[in-house]
Amino acid sequence: MSQMTPRERIQTFFRKEPVDTMPCFSGMGMVTIQAIEQMGIRFAQVHATAEYLAKSAMITAEMFGFDSVVIPYDMCTVPEALGCGASLYEDAEGILYPTVPNKWPSMDDIEIPKDFLSKGRMPVVDEAFRILLSQANGKFAVGGWVLGPFTMAGQIIELDLLLKGVRKERDKVVSFLDKMTDLVIEVAKHYQKLGVDYMNIREMGSGTDLLSPKMWKDLIQPNLVKIFEAIESPKILHICGSTDLIIEMMNECGADALSVDQKNNVAESRKKLGNDVLILGNFDPFGTLAKMGSSEVEGVIKKCIDDGVDAVWPGCDIWPDVKKENVEAYVKAVRQYGKAPSPAVGRI
Amino acid sequence: MGIEQRREELLKALSDGVVDMDEEKVKEAAQAVVDEGFNAYDAVMNGLAAGMEIVGELYDKQEYFVPELLMCADALYAGLDILKPHIKLEDLGDKVKGQVVIGTVQGDVHDIGKNIVKMMFEVAGFTVHDLGRDVPLEKFVEEQLRTDSDIVAMSAMMTTTMLGMKKVIEMIKEKNPNVAIMLGGAPVTKETADLFGADGYAESAGNAVQEAIKMISQLRKMHADNRESS
Repeated sequence: MSQMTPRERIQTFFRKEPVDTMPCFSGMGMVTIQAIEQMGIRFAQVHATAEYLAKSAMITAEMFGFDSVVIPYDMCTVPEALGCGASLYEDAEGILYPTVPNKWPSMDDIEIPKDFLSKGRMPVVDEAFRILLSQANGKFAVGGWVLGPFTMAGQIIELDLLLKGVRKERDKVVSFLDKMTDLVIEVAKHYQKLGVDYMNIREMGSGTDLLSPKMWKDLIQPNLVKIFEAIESPKILHICGSTDLIIEMMNECGADALSVDQKNNVAESRKKLGNDVLILGNFDPFGTLAKMGSSEVEGVIKKCIDDGVDAVWPGCDIWPDVKKENVEAYVKAVRQYGKAPSPAVGRI
Repeated sequence: MGIEQRREELLKALSDGVVDMDEEKVKEAAQAVVDEGFNAYDAVMNGLAAGMEIVGELYDKQEYFVPELLMCADALYAGLDILKPHIKLEDLGDKVKGQVVIGTVQGDVHDIGKNIVKMMFEVAGFTVHDLGRDVPLEKFVEEQLRTDSDIVAMSAMMTTTMLGMKKVIEMIKEKNPNVAIMLGGAPVTKETADLFGADGYAESAGNAVQEAIKMISQLRKMHADNRESS
């Protein structure tokens, strides 16, 4: 059989059917500074213009041979649409990701504006998706993502209110997380309606660096189950930080694949979950692509595959200021060691 | 009841109150320390801080997580608010001069770890100049120069904001090589701290507590030695 297009490869991969080779992709931002510079703009300018978002994603994918494009790059689009603002740091030198300046002071009286999908930069992201979907043409899959309800909550109210709340005012937190869950479903469904090829739910702030496994089961899992029931496949659950203690519970949420970062012991997770579960991960994107010598990259990627991932994913957004030769070494290693079947996905 | 026995009882109540996240218990014991004329500094170091040391161990053993840390910190503050006005300058010795500039660097709005480290500095008797969060880099340099602080403590939760720390360290060390720099935050490793020329580091809120507790433990030991020798 002839070679698959990146889009076919990823679609087939998520159905756990044999592919020609391991796709080289992610469910988080993959934009690089090399693409931004080629466009003659700065990183701070990329977030508010549909053309810039779409173009920077495509130039990056073409430059390095990624199978996917993923937008947006920052985690403030939804909070901004809810009225919390966004600091884009347009005057700062260097790369800073946007942050949320005006979080809500309490969990009380939360009203999600009905028309939030048309507010802030939401229409910009929609337009960028439309551009990508119309121009991707099989050359790459278009990935979308939304923060999970707990992480979204932490972007909208002060994290310490939320964290103390889980002990002090459990009922209030539960009902707040309910609202966040509905919000996440609405955004994810919206992007699926636009036609994204896969949807990643990033419940990043819920690892056991912050919450106990017991609390995770009590407060996080039920909402994730609800989300994965509501949205369509392919759908991925990503959690970064410490996930060894919750990986089995993550697998009960109904996602088609689990994504973890470098803190997860994937070899152990693979043993716990068996060979039928899609595991994505788990290299440290900053350490591997921005910091280490390019000759060390191959070993990092090979270890991910040897440990038992089905596709090599960075543990988080790629830090844009990568070393070009490191990204090239990463893609090359995925292609080289990804020819063989992975635990859950065979080869044609 | 003997005075020493009563002292032990109050110290235990303070420590237990912090560990059990019981603000009321801590307040009651702290008030008793003041009303009954016990040494407030002793109560902070060997009651509240000793409790926080146990909290650090529980976090290490994954019995406590960040929500619990925050509740324990609230309990500690409840006691500190009562005890602090009663700490005598001679108890603090040289440390009364200790000043620290603290904040999270621009691009980062997360400040849980920073606030816990701040608390431990306050427990240790430092004057803390808290710049808050999302702080432009040059502000750290300005504030250090303005206050002549001994320590600059910077935190970043995101890799992406960590890189700003390097610039601040260079700027500060250039102007005043004797300032100690502490870095904290999830992406900060020992290696990065060394690379950036920092003097100490902590990689998470929990780890920050551990680092800060080590510092406090040293002070507590010195304090105990002083008690014995005096």
